[in-house]
Order: sequence, then C-alpha cells, then structure tokens
Amino acid sequence: MSSTILAAARPNPVLDLLRRYGVWIAAAGLMILLPKVFSSGAALTTMCLMGIMIVFSLSYNMLLGQTGMLSFGHAVYYGLGGFLAVHAMNTIAGGKLPIPLPVLPLVGGFMGLLFGFIFGAVSTRRAGTAFAMISLGLGELIASLSLILRGFFGGEEGITANRTKMLTLWGVRFGPQIEVYYLIAAWCLVCIAAMFAFTRTPLGRLCNAVRENPERAEFIGYSTQMVRFIAFCVAGFFAGIAGGLAAINFELMNAVNISGGQSGVVLLMAYIGGIGHFAGPILGAILVVLLQVFLSDITGAWMLYFGLIFIGMVMFAPGGLAGLIMLHLPLWRRGTILQVLPHYAAMAVPVLMGAAGLTLLIETAHHQLVKTQTDGPAMHFFRLGFDSNTPLPWLAAALLLGGGLWLGRLYAPRLKAAYGDAAHGVEAAR
Amino acid sequence: MSALALEDVHKTFGVTPIIRGVSLEVGKGERHAIIGPNGAGKSTLFHLISGRFPVSQGRVTLNDEDITGLKPYQINRRGLSRSFQVTNIFPKLTVFENVRCAVLWHLGYRYSFWHNIRKLNDANERAMAILQQIGLADRSQLPAGVLTYAEQRALEIGITIAGGAGVVMLDEPTAGMSRSETAHFVNLIRKVTEGRTLIMVEHDMGVVFDLADRISVLVYGQIIASDTPARIRSNTAVQEAYLGQALEAEH
Ligand SMILES: Nc1ncnc2c1ncn2[C@@H]1O[C@H](COP(=O)(O)OP(=O)(O)OP(=O)(O)O)[C@@H](O)[C@H]1O
Ligand SMILES: [Mg+2]
Repeated sequence: MSSTILAAARPNPVLDLLRRYGVWIAAAGLMILLPKVFSSGAALTTMCLMGIMIVFSLSYNMLLGQTGMLSFGHAVYYGLGGFLAVHAMNTIAGGKLPIPLPVLPLVGGFMGLLFGFIFGAVSTRRAGTAFAMISLGLGELIASLSLILRGFFGGEEGITANRTKMLTLWGVRFGPQIEVYYLIAAWCLVCIAAMFAFTRTPLGRLCNAVRENPERAEFIGYSTQMVRFIAFCVAGFFAGIAGGLAAINFELMNAVNISGGQSGVVLLMAYIGGIGHFAGPILGAILVVLLQVFLSDITGAWMLYFGLIFIGMVMFAPGGLAGLIMLHLPLWRRGTILQVLPHYAAMAVPVLMGAAGLTLLIETAHHQLVKTQTDGPAMHFFRLGFDSNTPLPWLAAALLLGGGLWLGRLYAPRLKAAYGDAAHGVEAAR
Repeated sequence: MSALALEDVHKTFGVTPIIRGVSLEVGKGERHAIIGPNGAGKSTLFHLISGRFPVSQGRVTLNDEDITGLKPYQINRRGLSRSFQVTNIFPKLTVFENVRCAVLWHLGYRYSFWHNIRKLNDANERAMAILQQIGLADRSQLPAGVLTYAEQRALEIGITIAGGAGVVMLDEPTAGMSRSETAHFVNLIRKVTEGRTLIMVEHDMGVVFDLADRISVLVYGQIIASDTPARIRSNTAVQEAYLGQALEAEH
C-alpha cells in the first residue's frame, strides 16, 4: 500500500519528461521519418513548402487568432524577409563571407522585425476595421513597389541566388533537396516551439485579453496599442524567418511572394486550419499546400475549389479543422466516438454525391468556357469520356448535386441528434 | 492629503452639458458613495476620473498628482482601478486568467514575453488568493462567459481589485442582485477594500448607508450635498431631489 502511494507521489522522471515534451519529441520524430516514407522528389518539395507555410501561418495567427487583428498584408514581412535573404545569400557568396546557410533565416527574420516595427508603429494605432484597411493599403503599397524598385525586387523575374555557394559546414552544402528539407524542418520545429512558448508569457496572455475585450485591458494597466504593436513585431519576425526559409528553398524570390495574393493565402491557411487553436494554422498550412499541389495537378479550376472549400469552412465549420477536432474530443473522452461513426458514414453518401455533382458541374463548365476552342467538346471526368456540349453531363451534375443536398438535409437532424447523445449523453439531450 | 480630488470638472457631449462643475475630495481610506437619480451623470463622472472620456474642463488629481488627460492604463498604473456598471470581463478566458491578467502589470511583468507564466508563482498565487476572496476558486477553470450573473459581478470586482490599487471605484456593484446576494456582496466589498479608498456609485440605500463614511449626491451633473450619512439623510434638499423617492422605493 504505502509503496504504491510513494511511487505515485514521486513521479517517474522519464514519464514526466514524456508527458511534458511528448508532443515535441513525436513531432521531431515525425519530421525525421517523413522523408524516409515519402522520398520522391515531388514529396520532398511539398514537405519543404509545408514547413515554410507552417511557420508563416502560425506567425499570421499571432495576429488574427491570438490578438484579434485581421491583417490583409502579412506577405509583406514574409516577402521582404525572403528578398533580403536572397540578397544576403548573393552578398555572402560574392564576398566569401564566413556565414553559413543555416543562420540565413535570421536575416529574413530581422527584416520582418524591422518592417514590422516600422509599419506596426503606424497600423497598430488603430484596431478592428481601420487596422485591416491600413494593412491592406500597406500591402498593396509594397506589392506595387516590388514592381517599381527593380534593383531590390528584380521586377517580374525576381531575384535568384545559389544556396550551395555559401560557407560549407561539416561538408553539408545544401545542394540536395533532402538537406534543405532537414534545415527547414529544424527551423520549423524551433519556430513552432518559440511561438507556442510566446502564448504562455504575460504578453501572450494579454494578447488574448486584448482580443477579447480591449477596453477592459486598458483598465488593468495595459496599453492595447502597445500590446498590438509588440505582437505585430513578433509576428513580422517569424514571417520574415518563413520568407528566409523560402529564399533558401526556392533560391528565388519574386513579386508573387510579396503580393496581396500571398497575404490572402496565409489568411486562408490559418482560417481553414482554425484560428482558435494554436495548432490550427499548422493543419491549415498542411492541407492548403496539399490542395495546391494536388489540385493544380488535376484541374485547371483549382483556385475555384480552393475558394469553395474556404466558403464551406466559414459557413459550416468556423472553428476550422482544429475546431472540428476539438468538437470530437469530449466524445473521445467519453468513449462514445464509435457511436457517431456509422452516422458519419451514412452522411458521407450525400456529401460525396453533392461533391461529385459540384465537381462535374465545375469541370464541365470549365471545359466549356476555357478548353473547348483548343481541345474540342470531348472531355474526361474521372476517366469517363463524354461530350460537354450535350445536356447529359449537366443533367447528371444537377441530379447529383440536388440529390446530395436533399439527402444531406434529410439526414442532418439525425446526425446532430446522434452527436448530441454522444457528447452529452441521452439524458442531457432530452 | 486627499486620495482623489476633482476641481470644477465639466463634461459636455456635443452641446449637452452632462457634468456641470463637480468639485469633490475623497480622503485616504475613506469610503465614499455617490448617489443620485438615473441619468444624473454618475457613470460619466467615473469615466472622467478613470480616463475613459477626456474632461471638457477642470482638473483631477490622484494622491495630489495631476492625472487629467491621462489614458486609462496610465491612471490604472498610478493606483486607481475601477469596475463597470455593465459587466466588463474577458468572456472567453478562464476565470483564473481574467484575474491573473489583472495582476501582471502591477507585479512588474508588464509586456514580458520572456517569462513562462506558469512559473510566475507570485502572479499565480495572488490570482488564486483573489479568487478565494471573491468565492470563485472552484470556478477558476471555466470560461468567464458561462458564469452566472452574480458570479460575473464578483469577477468584475475581482479584476478591479487584483492589481492592488489604492483607490478603488465601483459602479453599481450590486445592481440587479437579489437581497441575499446583495448582503453577501456588501461583506465582500468591505473585505476586499480593506485599507483602500473606496468610491462607489450605488442605488441601494441599504448598501450605501451600511458602507459609506461619506455620501455625495449628484443631481443633473452637480453635487448638491456631500456629507456624512446621518446628515445626508436629514438634508432637505437631498430629500426633495432624490432620497425621498429612493428610500420609498426601498420599502
Ligand atoms: N457617450 C455619451 N454621449 C452622449 N451622451 C451621453 C454619453 N454617455 C452618457 N450620456 C448621457 O449622459 C447622461 C448621464 O449618463 P450616466 O450614464 O452618467 O448616468 P448615471 O447617473 O450613471 O445613470 P444610471 O443611474 O442610470 O446609471 C445621460 O443622459 C446619458 O444619456
Ligand atoms: Mg450609471
């Protein structure tokens, strides 16, 4: 008896360490193992992009999710960080300076911090819509400057560099993609940890307080403007690091990287992943990169799907992927998750029907509008060949979409009830 | 030396004068109640003192230091903290986090992003002690937004006193509470403002006469009387302007 109590009172240090850092050890292990499983060149490139975007979208969520600042110009800090890193690479290589490649993202981070400081001083004077508008204006300003200041931004073609021309450390030249992958993975892990640690500091918590109720924050001793300003600088710093990583990865920076479009993408990533949870933007970055890579391979209308997914997410799952997962945590704890699975399986039928109908509609329309002139009216949809000029595909698409919507609405109440039972118990639901 | 002093303070919204020349002195450690009919400008006066609105004219001093025109956070840092008539908390943060955020500045952590908040024993212990005082210790991990109305009012006071301000201003702390809740609350207020200067707006005359050392009566933007409870009770001008109806409403 007494020995078990003693054992419980004195926790096993290894177990304690695991409990505290288990997630991080697992993440590191996963990052190390991933290239062994997915070793193709395309997979490596995709994973490198994911690592960069994870840092970028987490930095964005320091503003949107943590502090409640909707920015439309976050690519400015990513892009400027990237451009400075590219120039730094060229300068270092040209001057044979003894600076190794792995520290280069810090150059990007510094640039992001510097411009976060300058633009933050202007834009964080205001909150809410005014802040959003200023961020949009600054974003557009820098984006248009990027086409004018050719010396720094290189015009349409951008600026290139060669990462292998830098000081070699322990024989690693970062020529092969796999070496770049591990560099990005290491930076990614460090940045995730740093940004997570930030949420657990006095300032990190005050960011949340300012998001929740800025007025009250002023009456407990905090200048909301200062809180927003520091958060903005820190977010700029990490965005700059992401830009530096991008510069190393692509050995190229151009106007697209600093455009309003890029600012939009980072918003989408954070939102789709879920801005209410720290890990949300990580999931969002992974999903969006996957979609970008795979959808753009399959269909020319991939941006449209991307937009539809975003709209669907905003309408049906405003908490994003992380929100959906959190919704099922209580079910997992109660051990009732298996109860709802059959209902999800049943719901999958109308969802897949609707999705198939919508996809067919989009693809046929896309073919009609864009490709008929060059390719003729004949088209393929999942290996099914047909003529896009006949009413048949349109009819089928309408039937699938309509049927899916109808069945889905029919079944939705039962799904909801099943979820309610599983989450709160049958008694509570009544 | 006074804890708080107002000298001929005016406030106009557009062309409408709301506060029309208020002078007031509150001594250190005094419990001062401000009473008056609805719309008299009591909350507005609180907003002027705490920096939520700028004064149109006049001077406000805190511990003989001029605080006119300062921002709310600057005034708070100098030791004046206030609560709100309409509950004003951080609804999605936990109850504990609400109070902890309110102690951080005053413990010197300011904008630190180099301290791990879980290891700040002084902040965590102080927050917990305050939760115990206001009776919300067993609610500490709930989001503040799900608390009952009375609990949120208690949290409102907890946030207000958390920083350890020497001057505490409460705007209708017992509004909307039942009789038993009110009695409990009066004790709570007495307890947590021990050794501090208290300025309080209150409609409940029972609470006012129970707690206050001095009472000021604000009617239509002017203080018509400022005196001890006994003398306010027998003041005919006050009887006419306000107290007559207010005491009747009590019964
Ligand atoms: N921001 C504002 N702009 C214009 N008028 C205002 C503003 N705030 C308050 N007022 C007006 O000032 C007057 C005093 O309001 P105040 O809230 O200070 O009264 P009060 O004494 O606190 O009343 P109550 O007992 O109902 O809380 C009211 O007539 C109100 O309409
Ligand atoms: Mg009021």
